[in-house]
Amino acid sequence: MTWVSWRLERTEALIVLGILALLAALLVPTGIQMADAYHRDGLAACLSVNPGPTCGNKLGDFRQHFQSLIDLSNWFTLVPGLIGVLLAAPFIFDLEHGTYRLAWTQSITRDRWLLGKLGSAAVAAALAAGALILLFTWWRAPSVHLDGRLDTGNYDSTGIVVIGYTLFALALAVALGAIWRRAAASLAVAFVGYFAARVFVDVLLRDHLVAPVKATYRGTQQPSFLYNAHILSLRGATHGHEILGGSSGPAQKFATPGMNSAVFQVVYQPDSHFWPLQLTETAIFVGFAAILILFASWWTRQRTS
Amino acid sequence: MNDTVAIRTSGLAKRYGSRWALRDCTLEIPSGSVTALVGPNGAGKTTLLHLVIGLVEPTSGAVDVFGRSPRRDAKEVLPRLGFVAQDHPLHRNLTIADTLTYGRKLNPSWNKQLAVSRVERLGLSMRQKVGQLSGGQQAQVALTLALAKQPQLLVLDEPVASLDPLARREFLNAVMEAVVEEGITVVLSSHIVAELERVCDYLVTLADGATQLTGSISQIVASHRLLTGPRSDAAGVARAHDVIRESHTERQTTLLVRANGHVYDSRWEQHEVDLEEIVLAYLGYQSGNGAAATSALEMVRS
Repeated sequence: MTWVSWRLERTEALIVLGILALLAALLVPTGIQMADAYHRDGLAACLSVNPGPTCGNKLGDFRQHFQSLIDLSNWFTLVPGLIGVLLAAPFIFDLEHGTYRLAWTQSITRDRWLLGKLGSAAVAAALAAGALILLFTWWRAPSVHLDGRLDTGNYDSTGIVVIGYTLFALALAVALGAIWRRAAASLAVAFVGYFAARVFVDVLLRDHLVAPVKATYRGTQQPSFLYNAHILSLRGATHGHEILGGSSGPAQKFATPGMNSAVFQVVYQPDSHFWPLQLTETAIFVGFAAILILFASWWTRQRTS
Repeated sequence: MNDTVAIRTSGLAKRYGSRWALRDCTLEIPSGSVTALVGPNGAGKTTLLHLVIGLVEPTSGAVDVFGRSPRRDAKEVLPRLGFVAQDHPLHRNLTIADTLTYGRKLNPSWNKQLAVSRVERLGLSMRQKVGQLSGGQQAQVALTLALAKQPQLLVLDEPVASLDPLARREFLNAVMEAVVEEGITVVLSSHIVAELERVCDYLVTLADGATQLTGSISQIVASHRLLTGPRSDAAGVARAHDVIRESHTERQTTLLVRANGHVYDSRWEQHEVDLEEIVLAYLGYQSGNGAAATSALEMVRS
């Protein structure tokens, strides 16, 4: 079954390798440039809690050069979805073309067939996700230093969640394909479903996966505990007047507007929550993927003839 | 395990939604026979075959292949089965060599020699892609895949329906060769009766999900007679024999009967009747009116 799975998944596997190669071709040159600039300007020193006076300009220069590129690369978070649905295609093709009947009347049981087909697709998806993680972790190293690993773009592409995303996309396409038995339509709908699930988790769910921390501080200097933190809300008040309200976004590393006597209340995910958040989110995506795969297996065994 | 019976069904039925594709089907197909499963489109032939090879679970009743359930004992039954589905699905982007490797990897009892020599005899190159072959060649490759498993039971669902007359003949010849060489049991479904008599020795007819006529073809042909005589009532004959079909012209009455012994009445002139006509009579007889009989005939003759 291993040879059979590989032979029938070869085309899709090569397409996935092509996608990874294309991505590497885009990212490696820009990554080298970005890393060079980062080290040449000595930006690492600027990111300590008490940066020197020339740092603002250096950081400004770096951002001017690379920020739009980094922002653009946030779209690559769709690549795990693309790879996932692609690897579901061989399974759906077997149903669409009726060749599953050929497989089911050889000497192997359909459980064995399901395991071979879906198992090899899942392994390929996990390997491809691993390659994505390696590539992005290297490429985004400067961005991780600048904005922290909890920055959405960094968080989405440099942790194990990528494996969860890829498996989820695969499983969604497999489940749709099991019922629908049309590859092209199933892949397209699964990709849209993947995007919707990602937006939902990114926007609504992620901040609450691990209980955020609340803290109060005084003055304009940002305290060290907010270093690389992901701020959910920040309120500031002085003499009973609100001067800053409800803003959320990445941590500001330099002067925060306000007055010396101002008191700030902040709700945030500290940098140390990175792995708990990653593990929880990965568990959610892998869990849904497992449910979808089990459902597709059950449906195919019971309802397909 | 019973070696004399290849397939045994009892009260076998399958429902899809609210439609019964097969109702209360009880039959025995002897080991070593070549059975034609005949009936119009939609009669339940494919459903019956899919039940036999374990692709679907019966709604009620039971089916045994060599004494085992093809569904529950799939591990034991599958290696003994060869199956070619309707339109003989194959992976079109695989070469013939890859297709044979596919068979070898999935079947412990794979006979590589048999597979390779069949491909050579077909005049095909191992490097050709299956998708580039003609329909007849694809059917032959699918048959090769099924035969190289060295099955004891070969099940063919409408194997020749999509083939031209020459490819049809070649395909059936290949099946016959395998029967002679390997002594396997064959069940093939068809809505075309014409060529089956040459190939098959056992018959099952199916209409509206129910079996009608089951038995050895030679016995069926021997026991059926066409009686022609002056226009009269069939009642006299019907007392002793089963009248399958009666038709009348102004002067003459023609009866197709299943004779229980000899027909002694000298008023009737007796003729041999061929299998196709018997099958048509049964399919028409069941539907009970002329129009339905004609449409069954068209389907069977196509």
